[in-house]
Amino acid sequence: MGLQCLCGTTLQTLKLAVIPSSSSSSSSSSRFVFGPLAKVYFPFHRRTASAQRPPFPLLLRAFSAPAVQATPTTTTTKTPDEKVLKPQWKAAIDFKWIRDNKDAVAANIRNRNSNANLELVLELYEKMSNLQKEVERLRGERNLVANKMKGKLEPSERQKLIEEGKNLKEGLLALEEDLLKLTDDLQQEAQCIPNMTHPDVPIGGEDCSTIRKTYGSPREFIFPVKDHLQLGKQLDLFDLDAASEVSGSKFYYLKNEAVMLEMGLINWTLSEVMRRGFIPLTTPEIVRSSVVEKCGFQPRGTNTQVYSIEGTDQCLIGTAEIPVGGIHMDSILSESLLPLKYVAFSHCFRTEAGAAGTATKGLYRVHQFSKVEMFILCRPDESDSYLEELIRIEEDLFSSLGLHYKTLDMASEDLGAPAYRKYDIEAWMPGLERFGEISSASNCRDYQSRRLGIRYRPSEPSSATPKKGKSSLAPPQFVHTLNATACAIPRMIVCLLENYQQEDGSIIIPEPLRPFVGGLELIAPKSR
Amino acid sequence: MKGKLEPSERQKLIEEGKNLKEGLLALEEDLLKLTDDLQQEAQCIPNMTHPDVPIGGEDCSTIRKTYGSPREFIFPVKDHLQLGKQLDLFDLDAASEVSGSKFYYLKNEAVMLEMGLINWTLSEVMRRGFIPLTTPEIVRSSVVEKCGFQPRGTNTQVYSIEGTDQCLIGTAEIPVGGIHMDSILSESLLPLKYVAFSHCFRTEAGAAGTATKGLYRVHQFSKVEMFILCRPDESDSYLEELIRIEEDLFSSLGLHYKTLDMASEDLGAPAYRKYDIEAWMPGLERFGEISSASNCRDYQSRRLGIRYRPSEPSSATPKKGKSSLAPPQFVHTLNATACAIPRMIVCLLENYQQEDGSIIIPEPLRPFVGGLELIAPKSR
Repeated sequence: MGLQCLCGTTLQTLKLAVIPSSSSSSSSSSRFVFGPLAKVYFPFHRRTASAQRPPFPLLLRAFSAPAVQATPTTTTTKTPDEKVLKPQWKAAIDFKWIRDNKDAVAANIRNRNSNANLELVLELYEKMSNLQKEVERLRGERNLVANKMKGKLEPSERQKLIEEGKNLKEGLLALEEDLLKLTDDLQQEAQCIPNMTHPDVPIGGEDCSTIRKTYGSPREFIFPVKDHLQLGKQLDLFDLDAASEVSGSKFYYLKNEAVMLEMGLINWTLSEVMRRGFIPLTTPEIVRSSVVEKCGFQPRGTNTQVYSIEGTDQCLIGTAEIPVGGIHMDSILSESLLPLKYVAFSHCFRTEAGAAGTATKGLYRVHQFSKVEMFILCRPDESDSYLEELIRIEEDLFSSLGLHYKTLDMASEDLGAPAYRKYDIEAWMPGLERFGEISSASNCRDYQSRRLGIRYRPSEPSSATPKKGKSSLAPPQFVHTLNATACAIPRMIVCLLENYQQEDGSIIIPEPLRPFVGGLELIAPKSR
Repeated sequence: MKGKLEPSERQKLIEEGKNLKEGLLALEEDLLKLTDDLQQEAQCIPNMTHPDVPIGGEDCSTIRKTYGSPREFIFPVKDHLQLGKQLDLFDLDAASEVSGSKFYYLKNEAVMLEMGLINWTLSEVMRRGFIPLTTPEIVRSSVVEKCGFQPRGTNTQVYSIEGTDQCLIGTAEIPVGGIHMDSILSESLLPLKYVAFSHCFRTEAGAAGTATKGLYRVHQFSKVEMFILCRPDESDSYLEELIRIEEDLFSSLGLHYKTLDMASEDLGAPAYRKYDIEAWMPGLERFGEISSASNCRDYQSRRLGIRYRPSEPSSATPKKGKSSLAPPQFVHTLNATACAIPRMIVCLLENYQQEDGSIIIPEPLRPFVGGLELIAPKSR
């Protein structure tokens, strides 16, 4: 309730007060409104007023109203292609269900081109179950012996029992060791099994992905199109060369209006998603590697996307999905809290190992970027509809920025282990002459929650005549989790620069962003 | 040996040449090693110190300026942790599970405060002519060293990335210092004034026992940093400019603070002079450092290799022939915190708390948090 109240009251104000008033004025009125008032409040944003450095003296007001988008578009390395270290934690995998549905599970593994070894899992499970029964049987016998020893006994009988007890104890110890090892082996194999797949998902490789929606059309240019690198260079918006010296390839500095664009995009996105009832968060960017694994990533596999911190069991996050997923780790939530909708802003770090040869130009593929991510925890019966809600939010955001894009229903081989269903949005990037992924929305159902240990307690069924005595609490269930990119900043900058370029090399800033960049309407070439 | 020689003479020369060559090789090896040893030792020599800097330990630092006074409370004061808990502004427990101690999630209005502070600070400093930047947060460890930090010392503040020569930055000073590494800048570019927003990562090793409560000392935080590259004759005055900007920022937020002229033992190797600002934190019942401004003169630029070419002296009658270019000089560098977000949040929460547990948001920030004027307790 409290969270909704926050959204109710604060968002009301947020909606109104997006535009910062001019800092020099007495800012008497606190009624900030979008659109028309922007011009009233920022009369000085005409670029003509100041032609020399600093180029945007009054454009600084735009940084109000946090708007942040999230959700990384990256593919999570779902399918482990190698055996990793012994699991340090246990996923609450439903082995019985797997056993009872093994044909469907096998078909799913095939469809996803996964390396999971179902036969081995079932075999280990069988062994483990039998061993467990045996262990329990032995324990029973040991208890019997122990009980017998409590009574009055002949010395010879007592001696026999002591022998028996000793043998049982040793046998038990050995079996219990075996059981532990079997459980670990079973975990390791079973964790490789990918999530089941929504029946509507196309089966096959990436060329089988279907287009769910197309919006807009490629802009027709009457002049030669430049890519974002050329535009950025001319407008002094980034420096990749200096970053290469200081940090290495695929790093960058943003400068001047690009910084305002980054802040504006974050703020606008946060604002837009908060308006839709999501709780804003900022998160740690260093997390324990076990949390990374529990979300379905492989921090230490070959070609891992994950940076590790030397001398620790910690990693850098590649997406806020990870720390947000971890917030309610090992918890039982009250049903009344669901759905829990978070919008998180974080920096993300990815090694991009194994990405050589794929599109890597400029800002398209980088090691570090800002991202606004949406994350939902909900009841199982609601996750399908929340995936639809998430994709609609993304589509609304990108439509309002005037991008031409297509939404893809990703095919089974491209889902990644945690996702039951995944929609990717690819936007048209005229400078790169291709569509580029700018967001990804996944319904992970209970894949992550079984690993993170996130459950909820269904409310008691309401009844007119309450039962007497002990209330009938339903047992806890695993929540379903979903995640979706609201804004991945560098690729959004690529889109905006390339799509909104003018013949003279200037860039028009789409209307919705202007209040968030101090009213700046145009990034113009600077006179020197 | 190029001329015509008798065979015996030639043979003698060959022998002599061979001996010289071997001797040279050995000496050159020694020279290399000596150079390395010299570098290693010499790099430890700290920067010189401004004559006005008090000599001694931290108790010798002098107060350069005091602004405001501690607010008088008519109700029991809470610290930022209690306030944050009541208002559902952060979660340190979940962060402890997910990441470890000294990590945190910000929630709800605290997120707006963070974004608002970053945006307002960037805006204010840009207004004063600084070029905005965002920077890499992973850098080569050599760059960290060139800025005067010790990435691999014991109790290092620096996180290293496994399997690489890279580190996480503890401050944007590092990547910004690196931008013009190994360059000769035209004098007309100076002064170069940057304001950079980045996340910062610090191990805080060796900080046990010092104040570590809540958001006061954390492993990761957002920070807006000012950095200036200038001519040597200007660095003293730019330090004054930087400290004035900081003081203006903190005054306009209504904080009670004191500016300290740090004593010689507390400067840190790169700094010729350093001003720290400590703000009053009523919940913690102490002053806490919220910013630091240093003039590093040429300490960093000599390591980073940043020089400038002084302009030709203007003359009525230009010389004929080769222009007399002055040789390149090392620039001076300065850095100063414009806003370190978590400690600023501590200040704002603790100073602006009301009896009912709500927090007033200082006026300058309101336009940057969507007009929000108050963080109020939420009804449940």
